[in-house]
Amino acid sequence: MRAAVCLKDVQVVVGNRVLLDVPRLAIEPGERVAIVGPNGAGKSTLLKVIGALVQARQGRVEVLGRSLGPGDEAADRRALRRDTGLLMQGLHLVPRLSARENVLIGALARLRGAQALRSWCRWYPQNLIAEADAALMALGLGDRGGMRADRLSGGERQKVALARLQLQRPRLLLADEPTSALDPAATRAVCRALCAVAAAPGRTLLTVVHDLELLPLLATRVIGMAEGRVRWDRPLGEVTPSLLQALYERHAADVTRAAPSEPVAMFRLANARTPA
Amino acid sequence: MTGLAQRQPSQPVRWALPAGRAGFATLVAFYAVLVALCLATLVAAGDLSFGRNPWDNLLKTVGDLARPSFLDVWFGPERLAYRSDDGTLLRVENRREVEANFLAALGRATWVTFQIATLGSLLAALMALPLAMLAARSLRAPRPMAWAAKVVLDASRAVHTLVFGLILVGIVGLGPMAGVLAIALHSVGTYGKLFAESIESLDMAAVDAVRATGAGEAQVFFHGVWPSVLPQFVSHHLYVWEFNVRDSTILGLIGAGGLGLLISEAVSLFQWSRLATLLIVVVALVMAFDALSRRIREALL
Repeated sequence: MRAAVCLKDVQVVVGNRVLLDVPRLAIEPGERVAIVGPNGAGKSTLLKVIGALVQARQGRVEVLGRSLGPGDEAADRRALRRDTGLLMQGLHLVPRLSARENVLIGALARLRGAQALRSWCRWYPQNLIAEADAALMALGLGDRGGMRADRLSGGERQKVALARLQLQRPRLLLADEPTSALDPAATRAVCRALCAVAAAPGRTLLTVVHDLELLPLLATRVIGMAEGRVRWDRPLGEVTPSLLQALYERHAADVTRAAPSEPVAMFRLANARTPA
Repeated sequence: MTGLAQRQPSQPVRWALPAGRAGFATLVAFYAVLVALCLATLVAAGDLSFGRNPWDNLLKTVGDLARPSFLDVWFGPERLAYRSDDGTLLRVENRREVEANFLAALGRATWVTFQIATLGSLLAALMALPLAMLAARSLRAPRPMAWAAKVVLDASRAVHTLVFGLILVGIVGLGPMAGVLAIALHSVGTYGKLFAESIESLDMAAVDAVRATGAGEAQVFFHGVWPSVLPQFVSHHLYVWEFNVRDSTILGLIGAGGLGLLISEAVSLFQWSRLATLLIVVVALVMAFDALSRRIREALL
């Protein structure tokens, strides 16, 4: 089987700053990968390159068997977008549509013929509406379906975005700090839902994680990044506090001159509780 | 130190107001000078006068205005005799009938005024849509076209409805059609600016999110753009329409039909009591429409 994501000699340069420099990275279908690292390590940039939101100046990027580049056909690009599910800060819900309608947007690319035309008036097939309601219900938002998206709380919005992903049924899921600004309960729920969306066979999950406590929940493989480069790439079981510490240490020394950084301490706690 | 060093020597130093409180004080000083200049020239030209006997005129006008003519429909004399100075009977008038007829004419004129405002606003909104799309910065229309659209919109806003009306009466003749076109030509500018602003304030992050699901361009438009922009368009439409109801009441002054024609008649014949009736109708019409449109706009937001 072909790799879900394959990067070769990829470089992203803005001005004279190298944001990303990845000589080689391959992610197999069905893998669950977390990317960790301090601020400015290039984690989000990596995710954006894979999600075709940022174009690499150099190198080859292959996603789901298609190579990204300036020569893409519009139809190819659309097919790829349909197969790639994004959960990022720069992507909002449509504020004036209801939660249910926002979820149904995920299914737009699946509609064909007359159904696609009818979707212009936001008229959807019954089975899709039922699917959307079920997705909302599973996330504990069963009673919020008719509410306008801009009246929802931050956590609820994140969950609606997840439900939208669920209807999109992407083969590759890219999540950039999916739980930032969520309370602990919501964090757990969102993580569980994210894993549920990625649970179907062959679906790949790639998450940028700041809260190291969540690593065991979200990943089986962890990539440590710093200064635009991949420092290490290990299965979750082999990730040790000292590896993480080395990753964050420099940054912590630069910024705060603080001794062992907080994320590492949290990871220790988490590992003590959940044997990976 | 570093901040000063960063200024590039090749860049020309632009003229600017001093920052902060000193800048504001300078602005106020400029304004004061301007006002003083206006007043001084007014006095120098001898135009700072209120006529020969403003108080008598004011009391007389207010007295007439305080007895609006429509009261005559019920309370007026049924036989009002007009006599010449030597006592010969010139004419007998039934005031009730005359004023009832005037009220009917007033009703028709009100409808014409409303007609002008409604059709003019709709026409303007339709013309403004493509121009606003060109002028909106976020849509990145080709430079020359965006520039041309902006010039058209600014020019149309700069010329007053009455001026457009005067020109159009010469072209399409007297009557409501000239009013409709005058309202439309002036409102295009207002609509264009408002529409362009609501397009610019569109949440592009939401549009990107819809596109990221792999939806087609039409689907992106109908799910990401349309739902956000439509309520704002409707709200702007109501606002300008409301404004035009007010504007079209004076269009009759230049022969474009409606209430303005009756107003100019009443004024030129010194029929202040009829003017009072007309003003009551204008105020009632505008207030009713204001209240209605405000309700609807609040519900939309």
